Amino acid sequence: MANIATARIKREFKEVVKSEEVAKCNIKLELKNDSFTELRGEIAGPPDTPYEGGNFILDIQIPATYPFNPPVVKFVTKIWHPNISSVTGAVCLDILKDQWWVTSVFDYICLSFQALLAAPEPDDPQDAVVANQYKESKDEFKNTARHWTYAYAGRPTASAEYDSKVEQLKNMGFDEHKARVALSTKHWIVEQAMEHILS
Amino acid sequence: MSEEDSDYGDCSDDEMDDDDDDDVYGDYYKHEEVEMENKKDDPEYFEFQLLKVEDVDRLLNENVEALSRAINVTPSLAKVLLHSHKWSVQDVIDLHKKDSLKLLVDSRVLPSVKCTERVLSRNFICSVCMQPSLADALCGVSCGHRFCRECWQMHFQVQIQNGVSTELECMGKDCNVLMPEDFVLSIVTNPRLRDKYQEYGFQDHVKSHPELRFCPGPNCPVVIRAPVDKAKRVVCDQCKTCFCFHCGLEYHAPTGCETIKRWLTKCADDSETANYISAHTKDCPKCNVCIEKNGGCNHMQCAKCKHDFCWMCLGDWKNHGSEYYECSRYKENPNIANESAHAQAREALKKYLFYFERWENHAKSLKLEEQAMKKIRARIEEKVMDSSGTWIDWQYLLDSAMLLKKCRYTLQYTYPYAYYLEKGSRKELFEYQQATLEAEVENLSWKVERAEITDRGVRVG
Ligand SMILES: [Zn+2]
Ligand SMILES: [Zn+2]
Ligand SMILES: [Zn+2]
Ligand SMILES: [Zn+2]
Ligand SMILES: [Zn+2]
Ligand SMILES: [Zn+2]
Repeated sequence: MANIATARIKREFKEVVKSEEVAKCNIKLELKNDSFTELRGEIAGPPDTPYEGGNFILDIQIPATYPFNPPVVKFVTKIWHPNISSVTGAVCLDILKDQWWVTSVFDYICLSFQALLAAPEPDDPQDAVVANQYKESKDEFKNTARHWTYAYAGRPTASAEYDSKVEQLKNMGFDEHKARVALSTKHWIVEQAMEHILS
Repeated sequence: MSEEDSDYGDCSDDEMDDDDDDDVYGDYYKHEEVEMENKKDDPEYFEFQLLKVEDVDRLLNENVEALSRAINVTPSLAKVLLHSHKWSVQDVIDLHKKDSLKLLVDSRVLPSVKCTERVLSRNFICSVCMQPSLADALCGVSCGHRFCRECWQMHFQVQIQNGVSTELECMGKDCNVLMPEDFVLSIVTNPRLRDKYQEYGFQDHVKSHPELRFCPGPNCPVVIRAPVDKAKRVVCDQCKTCFCFHCGLEYHAPTGCETIKRWLTKCADDSETANYISAHTKDCPKCNVCIEKNGGCNHMQCAKCKHDFCWMCLGDWKNHGSEYYECSRYKENPNIANESAHAQAREALKKYLFYFERWENHAKSLKLEEQAMKKIRARIEEKVMDSSGTWIDWQYLLDSAMLLKKCRYTLQYTYPYAYYLEKGSRKELFEYQQATLEAEVENLSWKVERAEITDRGVRVG
């Protein structure tokens, strides 16, 4: 059945070139190989979100049963988001699950992922730590997500406070990413983050 | 049909009579059954039937055929209609008379908006696989969406493998029309997939039928049919599972279905906190010797100092007479609203553990008493063999043990109910009755356990 999948993807790519919708959407998609089973995507963080100004790289696998099963999407760029694992980048997405075969990979990424970045669904979390923070302290969540966008997705401005705390732990010999995860998890309290890393 | 039914009934009755002759316990079981039959005034009495898969198939098919004839639709569509209308043939007929179009749209047999794309104008291309195709090779149902057989077949395969059967939908954009059985089976050729489709369909149909329930026993194929959907006790005669007809959980009166679900979830969530309670030994409050609980009764007597105490609260048993029985009642701190959040959390945990401990203890006692029951049976059998009394003479002991089991079971399920009860006179009354039952049960339990010991003494002497 893989021939259906391949024929679909080929056709989608052909049609997408002409489409204006995709240009509006701020996404880029390219084939990673000739077999049409792996794509690389890039989406821009939507405006007025903590992801604004960032560029996020996606890894998209087309299953042999495409389009009867949806593409499997993973964030390559590290991101702080309730529905995306901060460790693996895996996404739990129920949106469009029922009817996605009428769309294309482009629409799928464009519609559901932009929407997901703009409006997280903390009640259906993939990352429990992030989801809890989102529910309990929206401001802390926003600042943390913004900081991650700066650190990993190329956002130009940074929070000096968070930055210096990461630097502080780094100077003590801790791995930068581990330090950032611990600080993000422990409300940016340096002592607790240290304990967290050491435990 | 009815003739067959009555034949079947007679036959099973005969079999039972035969059993009585060679089985000592047959008498007892029959005795219990007859009693159940006569107990229509028993508040726990509930009428139900045990059905096999074939019986259910027959029942559903009769409905499907009746509706199909009455409103002149295919059996496949009749099935879709009945599934979405709780299998009430009359309801569907009435709705059909009132507004047949509305009925068909509401039941997703017809689309709310018909597909306007013309197959021909799309150059014979199946829009899912985007492959060119001959126009007459494209197919579909009432909504007008047309796709190639290969795509339908893949769509059905993926969905059926996900367990979807009665909810199979059209692949058209924003189309939620359901796929009738005859169309699905005309596309799906793989025999294993067809079986899966029909098996899931059967499960969906039983679930949508208000009179039917699957027996929740492990791998049990029995379906229970009851004329009313109530939270009543059902016992499966094949696997002996006893459950609530309404929610399928273990029978839980007097606690309601929602409450017991909440309670069981809470217990599962807090299992670590509660784990430390699961001790089988405690120390005698007077002489501190370590005592193991090996019977169901909470009235303990220390083998060493003969002190009578309560296993639950370790208090003196003398204070557990029915009037003073306070052991089942949780005394809340009256000032708790003014305490710190921390103290309130601690109090909440204390309260939960109090109820959990009692709930858990009755569950354990029930198990211990089940073992005791076996011992009593063996004991009586021995007695009867020895010609010291007949089975009937000893019946009372078994009856008491049975009653004890029933009471303790109910008692166990009073604790989740009490835990969630709001403070007030209702709770006070409930806890008074609970305490009375608690005292009587322990009294009976003590006597049943002793009765065995006493006559062992007599026999040795
Ligand atoms: Zn097709
Ligand atoms: Zn359709
Ligand atoms: Zn059963
Ligand atoms: Zn129930
Ligand atoms: Zn003692
Ligand atoms: Zn007590």
